[in-house]
Amino acid sequence: MAKPALMRSMPQIAHVDVNCFYASAERAFDPSLEGRPLVILSNNDGCAVTRSPEAKALGIATGEPWFKLAPRAKEWGLVAKSSNYELYGDISARVMELLGRYSAWLEVYSIDEAFLGVKGEPDQLLPLGRTIRDAVRRHVGVPVCVGIAPTKTLAKLCNKWAKNNPAFGGVCLWEAVPHDVQDNLLARLPVDEIWGIAGRLTRRLNVLGIFTVRDLVRADPVMIRDKFSVVLMRTVLELRGTPCIPMEEERIGRDQLIFSRSFATPVTTAEGLRQVLGIYGQQASARLSKHGLQAKVLTAFAATSPFRQQEQAYPSVCVSLPTPTADPLLLARAAHALLPQIRDGLKYAKAGIMLTDLRPSGNQPPLEPFENPHEERGIGPLLEDVSKRFGRGSIGLGHAGIKTGLDWTMKRDMRSPRYTTHWDELPVVRAA
Amino acid sequence: MGVIVGPRVIDAGASLFSVLISPVAVAAGFPSPAQDYFDGRIDLNAHLIKDITSTFVVRVTGNSMEGAGISDGDELIVNRALEPKDGSVVIAVLDGELTVKRLRITARGVVLQAENPRYPDIKVPALSDLTIWGVATRCLHHV
Repeated sequence: MAKPALMRSMPQIAHVDVNCFYASAERAFDPSLEGRPLVILSNNDGCAVTRSPEAKALGIATGEPWFKLAPRAKEWGLVAKSSNYELYGDISARVMELLGRYSAWLEVYSIDEAFLGVKGEPDQLLPLGRTIRDAVRRHVGVPVCVGIAPTKTLAKLCNKWAKNNPAFGGVCLWEAVPHDVQDNLLARLPVDEIWGIAGRLTRRLNVLGIFTVRDLVRADPVMIRDKFSVVLMRTVLELRGTPCIPMEEERIGRDQLIFSRSFATPVTTAEGLRQVLGIYGQQASARLSKHGLQAKVLTAFAATSPFRQQEQAYPSVCVSLPTPTADPLLLARAAHALLPQIRDGLKYAKAGIMLTDLRPSGNQPPLEPFENPHEERGIGPLLEDVSKRFGRGSIGLGHAGIKTGLDWTMKRDMRSPRYTTHWDELPVVRAA
Repeated sequence: MGVIVGPRVIDAGASLFSVLISPVAVAAGFPSPAQDYFDGRIDLNAHLIKDITSTFVVRVTGNSMEGAGISDGDELIVNRALEPKDGSVVIAVLDGELTVKRLRITARGVVLQAENPRYPDIKVPALSDLTIWGVATRCLHHV
């Protein structure tokens, strides 16, 4: 017979996310960055996407262009790093692996945050939150905060409080916060700080006299549904402690695969884009093989820079593949269906491919006549092998295979070593 | 081609290609007598790494740890989750740098020792004054 105490305890949701993820991942391997203002730059070293607390204290805003910060960096002692996606990806995977040990019910929500289903009384959940926090810090070396509440929206809110209020010690359990303190905190929180509320919606709420989260909690859910949407009504109910946003399994994040990059210098010809799309086809193939997946639908797209004084164009094409495939040649060929739409002379700043309708490979072998000839020869894994051993861009398919003179590849001048994924870039420890 | 494919590869749902070259799928002729004994090659990850999530590989520069068999250019396998004990080879943070030392915890205090008489010991009032980054479990020494 189950204990009555356990029967009473409702399932709760823990929201865990890494503090200033990119900056923390850098610091985990370079302790000299500890305590110094640090910004991580976006693709092509464009602007600051992550700021350490010290950088925030200097008044640096998210999205501030690096060329504006660079002249004062020395005077501030500001350090900038290019995005090190290999490192962040691996650290993220380690954090998620670790979190998975604490709950069978894990939803990876983004590269640096996850929801976990947890169960227990407040006097069990608070220690659990602290255990998780300590474990991630010790095992992987990055700091996280934990918010635990009956709903996802409240769990995210608690996490924010835990981050901004040192008194919580990094872990905030909704049920352990006294009612008057809850009320006070909600009253101080602008409504746009809530998950899923931004911009225009905020202004429309303000018109109705809803400025703070407390105002929203007290609003009539039916009125909210009629005037706004069922989505916002769910948010109100979630804030009142009624779970409305279900947990999703981790695989959901894998039902599509996107490769999209901005170019260091614009691509102006269809021939240039042919190379880009060829490489994306190759990379997508490698990623699919790694997860044992095949794709049935490929979407290719390109876009001109919205910041340039020129004609804009956003061509895209959706190709249904003859059979599900992970073959790099077929994926590249499908992506090339975009090319007739590309007009020479326009400056394309971005291109990408998206693969959808993913399914496990090998379940249903295609009929003989439709068997794709290249897969049999293992070209995808072979390309991946060579790239791994000799570096990205050392081998490629057709037009993608040109090693020199690709002027559109991403600029990452200030990238730290890829400490955990490349044998020749391991962290160095001094024996002196 | 010199490729050995055991039954496990097929279980893993590999491509048609590997099925074709697998000894199991070959209907004609004798199956390899070694087939039943093949259970995968030695996997260094399995033997050298206890917890892959908390394990990192670092490279040593300098020769202050020669006495422990750790030379310039060697790689160390470091588990960040392990509790450092007296005698552990640890990666400690000193002046913002990752440094490898032998940790000594005695009644008289905590010492970070070099394993080379030419390098002095570093005395620390208490373990809590130190940031231990991880504990080395193996040295990949170049012979």
